[in-house]
Amino acid sequence: MSNDIDEQLRAALRRVDPEQGFAQRVLARIEVEQRQRRPRFATRLPAWLPTRARWLPVAVAASALLVAVLLNARQVRHERQGLEARQQLIDALRVAGEKLDLAYRAVNTESPPTASDDTAPGDTGA
Amino acid sequence: MKYFLALLAVLLLPWQLAVAADARLILPELRGLEDKADETVTITLDAAMIKLAAGFLDANKPEDAAARQVISGLTGIYVRSFTFDADFSYPLGEIEKVRKQLSAPGWQRLVEVRSRKEKSAVDVYLSVDRELANGLAIIATEPREFTIVNIIGAVDLQKLHQLEGKFGIPKLQLEAKTPQDKPAGR
Repeated sequence: MSNDIDEQLRAALRRVDPEQGFAQRVLARIEVEQRQRRPRFATRLPAWLPTRARWLPVAVAASALLVAVLLNARQVRHERQGLEARQQLIDALRVAGEKLDLAYRAVNTESPPTASDDTAPGDTGA
Repeated sequence: MKYFLALLAVLLLPWQLAVAADARLILPELRGLEDKADETVTITLDAAMIKLAAGFLDANKPEDAAARQVISGLTGIYVRSFTFDADFSYPLGEIEKVRKQLSAPGWQRLVEVRSRKEKSAVDVYLSVDRELANGLAIIATEPREFTIVNIIGAVDLQKLHQLEGKFGIPKLQLEAKTPQDKPAGR
């Protein structure tokens, strides 16, 4: 009984030479599998697109990202300039208002409000 | 004839621009003073900058709303203000140069205040073109401070009046003392 099993195993595991063309078929299959593993965007590209242009979508995406970043930076700069201009405007109006108020208060408190009571016109008192 | 008029208009353009720019003063270059001054306020806002600033004014804020009212029609706001820790550290000659520009035709002095005691002076000038105000100038000097303000465009004193209380400025008595009531000098 055990001899039968041994014979059967020997027969099943005996050395067998590969068929002709086995190595070529294995290599061909490896190549097919490697092709199937390529990134999706590359496999979806039109067939007429040259191999070198397969990075075109990446380049387009990078360019779009760069444009978006630049536009955002421009918007931020514009906003900063606008806020600075607003603050300058408020400051300028404040200074102008203060000096106008100074003049009008002086005019309204002095009587009679002759301009050159104290000094000659144009004299700053220096 | 049409071409002649067009040519004439082109030739007269620089003159028209010069007349329009009359209210713009040549302010002194005071860069050297910035190191000596305790406080410096240098503001240069041309028409484009005013437009830009107007876009960032918040209508819900009282001071911004007041500012928007005042700046409508303005094409330039220029401020030079310096404060020092010692008396008369600034070149009075430069201030006088600005005063001389205000003696040109078109400028009218509204207010002139001199105080020998405080050694201070405040002058308010209005530039008038065809009975319309197109510029305002303020020169205020004190021993340790001087300020020059030049506003260009359709200056409306009533709108300036609306600033009262908005920037911490007390009420101006414009109704009580109109420019006609107080023509100083000239």
